[in-house]
Amino acid sequence: MKRNPLAEIMLGLGGLLTTAAFFMAFFWAPGTSYPDGRVDFAQKIFYFHVPVAEASFLVFIFTAFYGIRFLMTRERIYDTKARIATEVTLFFVLLTMATGILWTRVEWGVWWQWEPRLTTYFILTLLVIAYFVLRNSVEDEEKRAVYASAFGILAFIDAPISFFITRWLNSIHPIVFGGGESSGLETSMLITFIVAQVGMLMLGYAFYQLRLREEELRERLEALKIEIGD
Amino acid sequence: MAKSNSWRQFKAILRKDLVMELRTKEMITSMGLYALLTMVVYQIALAEAGDSFDVRLVMPGLIWVAFIFMSMLGLNRSFVHEKDQGCIDALLLSPVDRPVIFFAKFAGNLLFLMVVELLSLPVFSFLFLQGRVGFGNPVWLIGVVLLGASIGISGVGTLLATMTVNTKGKDVMLAVLFVPIMYPLLRAAVGATFAAVIGGPGTVTTFWLYMAWVAAFDVIMVAIAYALYEFVIGV
Repeated sequence: MKRNPLAEIMLGLGGLLTTAAFFMAFFWAPGTSYPDGRVDFAQKIFYFHVPVAEASFLVFIFTAFYGIRFLMTRERIYDTKARIATEVTLFFVLLTMATGILWTRVEWGVWWQWEPRLTTYFILTLLVIAYFVLRNSVEDEEKRAVYASAFGILAFIDAPISFFITRWLNSIHPIVFGGGESSGLETSMLITFIVAQVGMLMLGYAFYQLRLREEELRERLEALKIEIGD
Repeated sequence: MAKSNSWRQFKAILRKDLVMELRTKEMITSMGLYALLTMVVYQIALAEAGDSFDVRLVMPGLIWVAFIFMSMLGLNRSFVHEKDQGCIDALLLSPVDRPVIFFAKFAGNLLFLMVVELLSLPVFSFLFLQGRVGFGNPVWLIGVVLLGASIGISGVGTLLATMTVNTKGKDVMLAVLFVPIMYPLLRAAVGATFAAVIGGPGTVTTFWLYMAWVAAFDVIMVAIAYALYEFVIGV
């Protein structure tokens, strides 16, 4: 397994871009304000919360994709890839939850609200956790891989539901893009957001690749240990 | 020829489950008893609510909570038998198409679930809704929800129970996987039941909207469960 220079570049670049977006959010992008004129400081979390949320949805696609690939080919590497993708998804999901809860506390005055987006996203969190609980409770390696792939595919169905539900049902969760007249962003806000989003996706890619490499090295090490032991 | 063969195999597997149930009556009694026990717990939950509290407001939620947990009990039982008695191995050895096994187990689970649901619903009404105003909309609408949601529960449940029966936690694992996957269906089932129970202008439209949601879930999820079953049962 060779080093993956692209992943390392992405890690550096993603770190740089998300950090840049952080500064842009506070020092360049204009803040929105409440009707009474106070600046809406909590809105700044948008440049972090939305990128991690989008990243969680996008990375989760790979859980389902590699799950299907595994079931078709029965090659172990695809199961490993699906598992790593789900790990990265879990990381982003937890970040989304944490930032979302902070925002709702300030903006809605409550820590939690059972509204469609939050509910379906909570379900998504449970599904991602359940994926790992399932893996841990199956001893046979092949069974574990097959079950996890099947469950990953089934669980993925919730991702598009959670993504689109604010557009289907009455939801108090903000729709920033394409949600009617009041949606959309000023140019400087949009640029800041895009920088943050691109950076976050680069980080997601880097996490995935580096974690995968770590896993492959670990497996090789295990194989070598067994060889020496014999 | 092949089609009639599959049909015969389907009937044979389903009959096996029915005969076993008729001899032991294990599924129906354990699920039915579970439903009764849930109602005792509901009595505790509602004990301090007072007489003026309209139970119909929470009834849809209560019955679906009972049904979802009851269904897990039944699904788990249905596959523990297959595994413990080596039946599933025999089925896999015999020249039966895998999809046939899926549909036969699915049909069996659906049948048992529907029977217990239909038995426990009148008991629920008798215990909790006595002397209250009747249902707002025709009662058969509730039958439609029961059927629609039970199809999804049994279809996806058949897939998940086949998996979880081979895990360490068995029934706990089934709950961990099953409840979040079922969320959209349950939400719609409660919505539809509520519309049927409460009644009033516009509720019939609401009912069918929720039923469309139930139907969409059934079609998509059962199709996926069917597609995945072949991979899951072989390992």
